[in-house]
Amino acid sequence: MLNEFNEAGIAAKLAAMSASEVDTLDFGVIGMDAQTIVRLYNSHESRYAGLAPARVLGQPLFTAVAQCMNNFMVAQRFEDAANGGTSLDETIDYVLTLRMRPIKVKLRLIAEPAHPLRYVLVSRSP
Amino acid sequence: MSATAIADEAGEYEALLQFIYLAPVGLVQTSLDGEIIFINPISAQLLMPLSQDGGLRNLFTALENVAPDLRHRAVSFDSPQGTVCDAVRIQINAGIPGTSDPKLLSFSLVKMDADRLMAVVSDITQQVKRERLLRQNEAWLNAIMIGVSDYVLASLDRLGRITSCSNSLGPVTGFSAEAVLGQTYSIFSAVDATTPEGLVDRLREADLNGWSLYDGWRIRADGSKFWGSEIIAPLQDQQDDDQAAYCLVLRDITDRREAGENLRRSTSCDHLTSLMNRRAFFEAAQLELQRWHRAPRELSLIMFDADHFKQINDTRGHPAGDAVLRALAASMKAIFRQADIIARVGGEEFVAMLPSTGTAGAKAVATRLLRAVEAQTVAVDGNDIRYTLSAGVATMDAAVSGLDALIKRADIALYEAKRNGRNRVECWSSTRTDDAGA
Repeated sequence: MLNEFNEAGIAAKLAAMSASEVDTLDFGVIGMDAQTIVRLYNSHESRYAGLAPARVLGQPLFTAVAQCMNNFMVAQRFEDAANGGTSLDETIDYVLTLRMRPIKVKLRLIAEPAHPLRYVLVSRSP
Repeated sequence: MSATAIADEAGEYEALLQFIYLAPVGLVQTSLDGEIIFINPISAQLLMPLSQDGGLRNLFTALENVAPDLRHRAVSFDSPQGTVCDAVRIQINAGIPGTSDPKLLSFSLVKMDADRLMAVVSDITQQVKRERLLRQNEAWLNAIMIGVSDYVLASLDRLGRITSCSNSLGPVTGFSAEAVLGQTYSIFSAVDATTPEGLVDRLREADLNGWSLYDGWRIRADGSKFWGSEIIAPLQDQQDDDQAAYCLVLRDITDRREAGENLRRSTSCDHLTSLMNRRAFFEAAQLELQRWHRAPRELSLIMFDADHFKQINDTRGHPAGDAVLRALAASMKAIFRQADIIARVGGEEFVAMLPSTGTAGAKAVATRLLRAVEAQTVAVDGNDIRYTLSAGVATMDAAVSGLDALIKRADIALYEAKRNGRNRVECWSSTRTDDAGA
């Protein structure tokens, strides 16, 4: 069972998990496809953002869900990885505006050329 | 409270939350010393790259490097409430020429009360870029407008209205600048030579092709005509720019017209009637159909056929028949607008394509032509010949596949007019004929 935000090889493990298993994780998981459409939004993330998955699934991540990440620090990294056909696994300090409060988080950005979904993992614990 | 009411309220709250999440401008509420209380996602998107400490606790700290005076301005703002700064431009970076644009934020700060500041942040990089391009265009126009004398240079807004013009306007057209500014460029055309849609068509063609050229009669302020050559070109290729303007150059080439006109006449005119010939008609009508496909609007086609024409030829001889056709062409020129395309497409078959005209309008003008022809006598060798005309009207719609199909519809209506006794106009109707989409 996977439960660590920092765990290695996490993309493959997430891909193997069912949606309800992803819901048991104690960090946020947002999965998007090649077109940046949100396909996975776990209950941890949903609870903190205050948005039901139904409001988010099927929407483009950077323009309709998490505009705060639409800059060179997050969106650009995914774009660069996709353009270069390279893997991305970086953890950065960031601030999310959950319920309009500035919340310090760690974001782990994951993309594997072989995987259909790319992930943003969100950890609120310092 | 019932369970449904609570669920409704939760849904409302969630919708409101999402509304602020999705707001396309940055909103931040802070304490008087800049500590952030509320902040929406766009603000974080714009401010995080500026943050020195990786956090967003204090707005003034986040903007310290790009707007160092902000804290001071807020602190020294004495009034209990009011605007501390309004749409101040904050330059984030200089950009890299040719690679990335200089990034700019617009920043407003309002003091709400003794405890709260509200900030509005938006990215105006693109807006500033457009403004700069516009200023360059203005400079360019000003530079080449000075000293122009044998052609008019004007700039047009998105709707084809004249926004500026060169001093040569007076010498070339007789108009004063006051008379043309704010008017569409059709002020240089005869009243019946263009339609509002036709005016926009040329702007769209300029967008698509980079230019739109027109040679034809133009009108001076005193109503006199000159043969003009006119080109419209977009000043910049940004489609989303509502400031986008066109450049119009209008030359008086009356002197050079004869040579060009002779060539045009030999290739596109019917020698007998001097109307457009079949080839020229198809070319002009195809262009009109392309315009229709780009922006559907009313467009009608009328087929005309002289009644019992063979009889005139047989009993009065071919010269009489030719005289009748020339008289018919003259009547058509008198009745149709300059904007209409009229042509001789067969022996005694004529066609008119009427831009921006529906079935009723086309029927009315066709009827007028029929009545005029009916009342007319054609004198040939001392004999007066009377003749009549039948007409079929068809109007463009989405079911019509192309020019041939439209002509076929008009032909069907024309056949109907012949069958119903001639000297009449019939309009194509899907209920009357089976081969509707032909």
